[in-house]
Amino acid sequence: MSQMFDFAGTDVAFIDGDSVLTALVRAGIYPAGGGALCCEGDCPHCVATIDGISYVRTCQTAPHENLKVQPHPIDDYPPLPPDRGYGAPPIEYRQCDVVVIGQGESGREASDRATTSGRMVESFDANRGEEVIGIYDGPMVIARTPERIIHVDCEEIVVATGAAELQPACPGNDLVGIVTGRAALRLVAQGVGLGVTVAVGKPPNDLDCEVVEGTLVRFEGVDGRLAAVVTRTESGEERTPCDTAVLNLGIYPRDGLARMGNGLAVSVVGDAGRDATVPPCPSEGVICPCNNVDVDDLQAVWDRGFHEIELVKRATLAGTGTCQGMACMPYLRSFLADRGAALQPPFTARPVARQLTIGEMSAGEYDRPVPRTPLHGEHLALGATMDRIGGWWRPWTYGELGAEYEAVRERVSIGDVSTLGKMIVSGPDAESFLEYIYPTNISTIESGRSRYVLMLNERGYVFDDGLVSREADGTFSLTFTSGGASHAEMWMRDWGSKYDVRMLNQSMSLAAINVTGPLAKELLAKAGVVDPPPYMGHADVQVAGVPCKVFRLSFTGELSFELHHAIDRSVELWRSLLDLGGEFGIYPHGLEALQLLRLEKGHILVGIDTDFDSTPRRIQHEWACKIDKPTDFLGRPSVVRTNEIPLDRLLVGFRTERPTVDGALLYSNGEYCGYVTSAGWSPTLGHGISMAWLYHGSDGQLPGDVEIDGTTATRVPMPFYDPEGVKARA
Amino acid sequence: MNEFLERKVRLTWGEQKPTYDVVIIGGGGHGLSTAYHLATRHGITNVAVLERKYIGGGNSGRNTTVIRSNYGVPESIRFYQRSVELYQRLEEETDRWIMHKQKGILWTVHTEAGLRQERARSFINQANGVNTEFLTPEEITEIAPEIDLNVGGGKYPVLGASYQAAASTARHDRVNWALAEGAMRHGVDVLQRTEVIDLIRDGDRVVGVRTNHGDISAPVVVSAVGGHVTRIMDMAGLRIPIRTHPLQAFVTNHYERKFDPIASSLDLGFYVSQTARGEMLAGAHIDQQPSYSYRSGHHFLSSIAHNIQMFLPFMRDLRILRQWTGICDMSPDYTPIMGRTPVDGLLITTGWGTWGFKAIPAGGEAMAELIATGRTPELIAPFSLDRFRNDRTLADRSSSGTH
Repeated sequence: MSQMFDFAGTDVAFIDGDSVLTALVRAGIYPAGGGALCCEGDCPHCVATIDGISYVRTCQTAPHENLKVQPHPIDDYPPLPPDRGYGAPPIEYRQCDVVVIGQGESGREASDRATTSGRMVESFDANRGEEVIGIYDGPMVIARTPERIIHVDCEEIVVATGAAELQPACPGNDLVGIVTGRAALRLVAQGVGLGVTVAVGKPPNDLDCEVVEGTLVRFEGVDGRLAAVVTRTESGEERTPCDTAVLNLGIYPRDGLARMGNGLAVSVVGDAGRDATVPPCPSEGVICPCNNVDVDDLQAVWDRGFHEIELVKRATLAGTGTCQGMACMPYLRSFLADRGAALQPPFTARPVARQLTIGEMSAGEYDRPVPRTPLHGEHLALGATMDRIGGWWRPWTYGELGAEYEAVRERVSIGDVSTLGKMIVSGPDAESFLEYIYPTNISTIESGRSRYVLMLNERGYVFDDGLVSREADGTFSLTFTSGGASHAEMWMRDWGSKYDVRMLNQSMSLAAINVTGPLAKELLAKAGVVDPPPYMGHADVQVAGVPCKVFRLSFTGELSFELHHAIDRSVELWRSLLDLGGEFGIYPHGLEALQLLRLEKGHILVGIDTDFDSTPRRIQHEWACKIDKPTDFLGRPSVVRTNEIPLDRLLVGFRTERPTVDGALLYSNGEYCGYVTSAGWSPTLGHGISMAWLYHGSDGQLPGDVEIDGTTATRVPMPFYDPEGVKARA
Repeated sequence: MNEFLERKVRLTWGEQKPTYDVVIIGGGGHGLSTAYHLATRHGITNVAVLERKYIGGGNSGRNTTVIRSNYGVPESIRFYQRSVELYQRLEEETDRWIMHKQKGILWTVHTEAGLRQERARSFINQANGVNTEFLTPEEITEIAPEIDLNVGGGKYPVLGASYQAAASTARHDRVNWALAEGAMRHGVDVLQRTEVIDLIRDGDRVVGVRTNHGDISAPVVVSAVGGHVTRIMDMAGLRIPIRTHPLQAFVTNHYERKFDPIASSLDLGFYVSQTARGEMLAGAHIDQQPSYSYRSGHHFLSSIAHNIQMFLPFMRDLRILRQWTGICDMSPDYTPIMGRTPVDGLLITTGWGTWGFKAIPAGGEAMAELIATGRTPELIAPFSLDRFRNDRTLADRSSSGTH
């Protein structure tokens, strides 16, 4: 019993050795209408939709039961496919010395030669269902098979892709019944009857056919089917009736992959490397079957000044379809050479040489990893909404913004700040190195003390901030912003190469929990900390049995302790603090609450409140940029220079009586004068607070009060909350 | 019948003369647009445009053809809005089909920070005459039901989008040709396969160029070079703050034309639209490594394929047809550099990064006005090279479509 696949609702039988195309032709079906079939993947005349994927070459597809083939619509492009959910085939990574592409005679020889000389060889051949889709830097070869994508890293690539048989370029070349010599052999071998067969040019050996004399002029047909071949001989035109015309118009190298590999370790053997002699210039007929470009079209753009092959390609779109120029390139080149533009090299060969789906191209891909803190599971268990912030998954809110805020301001709260960049700098030059990196005084930081620092680039613009702490042993521990940490580390290592320093990145090995609120000291006391460090000090202590380096600083504005500890103790410490804090009404806070709390304190968030070109002066942080400090520091020449330039804008605070949002615009007397970088409604103060860029007016003066969202906003100094810092120092 | 055949443009090539009033280096969109506007607006036609290869063969013919003005700083919003308006009438003005089509652009966001940024964009756009709205996920579905709001099974949920309805696309090649033809008709010489080997100087001034076909003297030389601008500036002894990075793109085969908007997720790193020919066209962020290479990479294609099929699930089964690479001149503040240089006689239009195509009409118009009048038009005054020295940069990274 023969096997069947489905073509547009009709069963089509297939036998061993068939491609989908040979089975279809046996059944009298031409899936893409007419055109000279090549059966070798060179032409676009057999493409169809197979199992929902359009533009598949049926000649390169092996049939199987249940396969569903649909022709493309005649008058439109194929429909967009339905949503089938995410999918990607497996990928296989291979390594070898030599990849040989093509396993015809020259390809097999190349493989044998390489194998004999002891090199490890991988080979691909489209006839085995392995389509090479591109050669990339490396060199690297990507191939697709129906089951998988194969990625091969190698030392060397041999292109042995052979040559394609020329397509006919004459009227009637879109009829059914035209085949190349190789296609004829293939069809006959599969038992497909060709009917009355004539050959133009020398036919393949063993093919039973009549050879017509002369050069091809046109094909004539009835109802889209070939009826006769017309040739020109010395005695004039000759019409030869037939069912099938077998063409041997010459061959043209399949050099796409070879050209794609230009500049890489790629060699070409066999017909793929032969001289690309172009055929005679055609006078009529379609030359680009993919985009239906004929000789008249070429002439039309030629006559209007399009002479460069790339311009002709772009003006006609010849060469930009499924076959990527395989059918038209010889004729495009011969046309331009004939018209006097010299023989131009082929246009650029680009991946992909054979098509594959976006799903197939996704093989081996994965979501870019977004790091989680050790407390990720704790946040989820508490019902937190997670968000990606600064390159990490972080808790945005635990669902009770008000409760989170209130716990910090009135009782005690904990927050996960494990994402902070953390680094130890040690070595003889540690201090002088940090003096150069930071625009603040480092030598005056006493052992056991910490200082807030900005980081400036060479242009004197702020790109990060953090804390520098001096340890008892003379080393320094630094923190960076969560999102800026990896850049800051590169920055440190780059500039540090001239110093005798060692740097240890602890960002991933240490977690950190911020204990904050008026009752923070009481909570720590319950956790066994009897003598916590003073404000802007730090100490190594055990908290609930967990060894911590405790920093006392404040981002929220309340009494705060940042507990840095080993990641494997983090869950234990978090749970202990929540447990012990129960009696104080502890509640954790997420990023949304933290952003409001710090806004009340006027603390900037680098990257949100600052921009690419924020100088310390613009963000009112000149106090953190000691321009007169005894040693030079990065960015100082720029800071000195830009300080001489009139200021154009300032980061300032506004009080509003109605809530506003980030990005809201500032107006002064109807003129735009800036925008809000951070906005919030302060429950403690009972009014809206904003940090905003305020631009100087054309008179060079900073506007005073402005309008935000149509109501007056009053410029007020920051911090908005506890300006004297009494709470943080409590 | 090939409906996309270029049927009207007639290119009339000039021959190199020893002297011109203006020499423009670079036959891409900005060079051709400058020549076009010199000829059509100011009657300055003794102009040569020098092109190393063929016109529009650099980034002007490699970009993803998006036209929009949803920028983040008022100076840029106004400038690109001018370009949007000029594009809207370019077809009528040149009487050439540039395949201009209004599509609307969606910039979806998947984080709280992204949401705030795009909401802020809608405010500053509206205040500067550009109607960019901030949309809810439901409103996004009305515009593009194909987008899976639950991207990656909820890992990257779509929280909203900024949307500029007036955003459009046009066929890049046709824009280049329409402008070239317009300039040629007025007598501008466009010279292909003409490479500038050196700038000719007289004291502190640039007074001409040396090409592979001989010297040309000209009182005004404009660099409208893409990709190798730093090398041209080197010839004048100038260093400019430009780094050149590759940017890659791909198209699929042709499918039924059904996907209307330009959809973009900067978070997931791509933008995608459907061309008039039915190809799905997608681009990505610039490659991090600076390079002049046009070689395409595999990792770009696989990573973008992965993200795109999460975002637009129907694209899973579309077949990729071709990938290519352009190179982008990135300025430090993601804003162009236009106008005078410290060297007399040498003007510059560069820093077109990933946003050059959309600026072609307004950029050429302004450069032509500068050349013709000797005064820098107000519209481009903020983009001057000396802004870096004067601490007046226009930071606008979030609007560039890359990072």
